[in-house]
Amino acid sequence: MLDSIVSFVDGSALNQWIVAAYWIWPILEIIHFFGLSLLFGGLLVIDLRLAGHFRRLDPTATHSLIPAVLLGFAMNLVTGILFFFGDPVTYAYNAAFQLKMILIVAAGLNAMFYYWKVSPQMHAWTAQTTPPLVAKVVGYTSLALWTTILLCGRLIPYVGEYLGTGN
Amino acid sequence: MFTWIEGTPIAQWVSLSLYAYPMLLAVHIVGLAVVVGIFMMRDLRLIGCFKGLDPVAFLSLSKFAWVGFILNAISGVMLFTSQAVTFAGNLAFLIKIVCIIVGMALAGVIQSRLRADTQGGVDVVISRFTRTLAVCSLLTWTGAIIAGRLVAYII
Repeated sequence: MLDSIVSFVDGSALNQWIVAAYWIWPILEIIHFFGLSLLFGGLLVIDLRLAGHFRRLDPTATHSLIPAVLLGFAMNLVTGILFFFGDPVTYAYNAAFQLKMILIVAAGLNAMFYYWKVSPQMHAWTAQTTPPLVAKVVGYTSLALWTTILLCGRLIPYVGEYLGTGN
Repeated sequence: MFTWIEGTPIAQWVSLSLYAYPMLLAVHIVGLAVVVGIFMMRDLRLIGCFKGLDPVAFLSLSKFAWVGFILNAISGVMLFTSQAVTFAGNLAFLIKIVCIIVGMALAGVIQSRLRADTQGGVDVVISRFTRTLAVCSLLTWTGAIIAGRLVAYII
């Protein structure tokens, strides 16, 4: 499957455009860094409050940060896809990239669990409520996953191939 | 002096070890996300976004930003030592450092302004001066990220 994705992307019009426009790469990187700051900064506030820090805050008040988190994620999804189109062979078979993608899916599942199982109970919480264990686990899991995603992303250029060579 | 720095044992370790440089870069990106992430949320709140969120929260959140800053000061100095001569002569790097110093100074002022503005209790009014500082802070962190990324592209 990896090979067919790579052969579809490699040589496509978008791939050729990104390869030719060398100045696009640093611009994409800068946007990717802003996106990760928005995403991680927002999640720090949301997840730490969820886990029981900053009790002065109304428990659901942090939900106003969710649009910023989603905006950061959208920025990084778009720039990330463009990175992949710019250099599909390097990314597709890279162990750090593969782990990063798996962890992003895991973080997404964790967020869905929060949305459907934890968030609905939060309206009953007061500022003094000690969050249930499940809320703490979801909050800290989210932060641990995104921290590891950041580490994996930064290590992509330094890590070797995994799952075949594409040749 | 920068040549001397490159000869120190730390610099030698960072440049010769197979793992040191990438590991420090990895730490540096986590620190960046914490520092810029928290300060960006704080500044956006101060200029009027996320109205539901009590800005007082950022008085305690700043502690986490400081942890991120210390993490990045240490990893940043170590990364710097390995190529001190190159970095010291890199315009983008120098702009980045100026932006960070201004951004951290602004963070100190904003922290004390925020403490003063939020003394009144529930109905917090963010003063025009604090909002102006927040805009300046957003601009400095934007500058730091752009300049920091360009360090790798400018010789």
